[in-house]
Amino acid sequence: MKKRMLTGNQAISRGFYEAGGLIASSYPGSPAVGIIENTKTYKEVYSEFSTNEKVALEVAIGGSFNGARSMVAMKHVGLNISLDPLMTFTETPTNGGFLLVSGDDPGLSSSQNEQDNRNLGKFANIGILDPSDSGEAKDFTKKGLEISEKYSTPMMLRITSRLCHSRSVVNIKDRVEKNQSGMDLNSENYCMIPANSRDKQYAMKERIKELGKFAYDTDLNKLEIKKGTDTLVITSGLMYNNLKELDLDISIWKLGLVYPISKKKAKEVTNKYKKVIVLEEMTPFIENELKLMGIECMGKEYFSFTKELDIKDIEEGFYKAGLIKNKHIEDVEKVDTVKRYPVFCTGCPHRPTFDIIKKSKAKLIIGDIGCYSLAALPPFEKSNSIISMGASIGITKGLRKAMDSNDNDDPVVAVIGDGTFFHSGIPSFINLLHQKKDNENITILILDNRTTAMTGGQHNASSGNYNKNDDMKVEIKTLLESIGFKRVSEIDQYNYDETKKLFKQELNHQGLSVLILKGPCALKYKMNKPHFYVDPKICISCRTCVKTGCPPLKMIKYEGIDKLKSSIDSDICVGCSVCAQVCPVNAIKQSKKDKEDDSIDN
Amino acid sequence: MTTNIMLAGVGGQGLVIMTDIICEAAMKDGYDVKSNDVIGLSQRGGMVWGNVKIGKKVYSPNIKPKDGDILLGMEPLETYRWNTILKDSATIIMNSKRFDPIPVQQEKKDYPIKEIKRLKDKYNTTEINAFDEGVKLGKKQVANVILIGILARHLEKLDLTPINIDTWKEAISENVPKKAIDMNMKAFDLGYNYKN
Repeated sequence: MKKRMLTGNQAISRGFYEAGGLIASSYPGSPAVGIIENTKTYKEVYSEFSTNEKVALEVAIGGSFNGARSMVAMKHVGLNISLDPLMTFTETPTNGGFLLVSGDDPGLSSSQNEQDNRNLGKFANIGILDPSDSGEAKDFTKKGLEISEKYSTPMMLRITSRLCHSRSVVNIKDRVEKNQSGMDLNSENYCMIPANSRDKQYAMKERIKELGKFAYDTDLNKLEIKKGTDTLVITSGLMYNNLKELDLDISIWKLGLVYPISKKKAKEVTNKYKKVIVLEEMTPFIENELKLMGIECMGKEYFSFTKELDIKDIEEGFYKAGLIKNKHIEDVEKVDTVKRYPVFCTGCPHRPTFDIIKKSKAKLIIGDIGCYSLAALPPFEKSNSIISMGASIGITKGLRKAMDSNDNDDPVVAVIGDGTFFHSGIPSFINLLHQKKDNENITILILDNRTTAMTGGQHNASSGNYNKNDDMKVEIKTLLESIGFKRVSEIDQYNYDETKKLFKQELNHQGLSVLILKGPCALKYKMNKPHFYVDPKICISCRTCVKTGCPPLKMIKYEGIDKLKSSIDSDICVGCSVCAQVCPVNAIKQSKKDKEDDSIDN
Repeated sequence: MTTNIMLAGVGGQGLVIMTDIICEAAMKDGYDVKSNDVIGLSQRGGMVWGNVKIGKKVYSPNIKPKDGDILLGMEPLETYRWNTILKDSATIIMNSKRFDPIPVQQEKKDYPIKEIKRLKDKYNTTEINAFDEGVKLGKKQVANVILIGILARHLEKLDLTPINIDTWKEAISENVPKKAIDMNMKAFDLGYNYKN
């Protein structure tokens, strides 16, 4: 048997491939980005990054309707916008296996909230699987598709950031093709008008009951009995492996299928123990399920409701519960030293944009989700709100209406990226024109860096204008003008002074204006121009360049010069020229020498 | 026995591919392996970390506090930040090329030079400017493979979970562009034979 080291994400892709999966869709969002990036490497699978998670879920529904095994993957918050189709699709009998992969993020490593999507899985009346490592991630993907078909239900594969990005050894098998039955033409089953949907409420209830029977003796759940102990720990997912590190004197019931739980089985298993402890991250999901069954157990008394639970947190919880007398893991304080915030990359087009905003009179900046969220951090600190994908535009409208009614005419600036614009910004843009008044001062900056950058540079609806391999060629300016926007301008923000002038002009314009900033992502489009250098004899130590926060810049001591002067690390500089443009005395110049050939990238 | 290797660096330094190479090499030599990549913002100059656990049977990919055997520090400040995860008298392999974080660049905080120097008193430390050595070999990107060479030597010395040189070279070859294989082999040898 072939073995490979795979991340959780890669393992899910592999499982889908082996299971004969045909339709895979997603919208890029950490921690689940890697799943579809990997299915794209299998030519037998049709894969796409759709315009948003709702569309992605609908594409997978279409595949499943025709009997094709289908999978949709997204980060946890993506399920919020795709909940609309899910809540009705779940009423229909599932034809081709349907797997919803939800990448939850305990500890909020890369998310705006920490919602526990097991609750949404239950809400949607679907079964939920929770794998503990990459091997199980692959197996549960296949198992989930089988259960989905057998019980005619969508299934959720709930994964966490840690699982997505950890690697373990996985056994590789061959792909088994699955035939498609074609779409069931019985419209009572699929046209969810009230007359047809009413019966479906009963069907869903029945389905969960049947799944509960399946849960009674499924090998997805494993009972590890330790003789002589009166304590049972019920856990699932990666928590199981963290628990095993402690090597405690306890029995463990590890759930692979966390919803539904078989009541009969749960009673049989727990009856033999005095103490039942539930170990799970985030909400007390399993704990509450057990309590609803009348099973006495404890969980959140000992383990935090937020953050990841690491091995030490688990030991601490057992200590609090009085189950262990001594703690073996040392208390080590984190090293208290200089913080390293994430920053805009060297050469990033957002740097001139936010440098200009920072120096302008604009005080209210309504941000959105993307790399430009980093503008909330030092050195710019120029974002007054970040809520959810595409929310900046709607919020700005409401804010403007409220401020105007309060005689506050401060300018309001909204910032949105191209990916976010296509994801869910467009409806809010259309809505801006509803009950619009001529003198409402709103300035919208669309940061069109030609890619969905923050998740690693995936394509979006306009990338085809710039890349041969991408096919969608929507022009943001043309689109907005056809909607009815009158004042839309485009500019390359690497032309610093011109952009500054235009931004000032639009900020002063008493009305609605849109500026599309066209500088491409320096990382994705590999900016690599001759580097810049500082002439310390001309530099006046004003630090205007350093304040842009570009990584290669810093103040250093030059020989024979008393004052600190600016400098540029030529190994890191990619030649974007912004520092040279903001320098008031022209002390920064571009080298003539070509950079080393960067065609070999490790 | 398990060898717990911690990796720390700055977003964009190539920590993920390093983790990948170490995992592949260990798996090829028949060990059970689990690893973590940083979760969160990684490409943008923020702090990044990862780890690899190699042994007969590995449960959690996470390393417990004070249970690390080797810290592969790709940047001095990040090496210092993570040192408390190490066992007493563990091994540090540190790339001395500095990447100043924003508070240092903006002259609001000092780079902790003294504290970093003191790591040598506590741990068995190998220090190298892998970045400069990489540039000398022809490409700054091979800096990481130099560090892997040093790691390979230390794993042999610790004798817990040694990995064959040929296995290392195979894993590296599979993870770098074809035309860069020779340069990477030289980088590995340089690291493997490096003396402080």
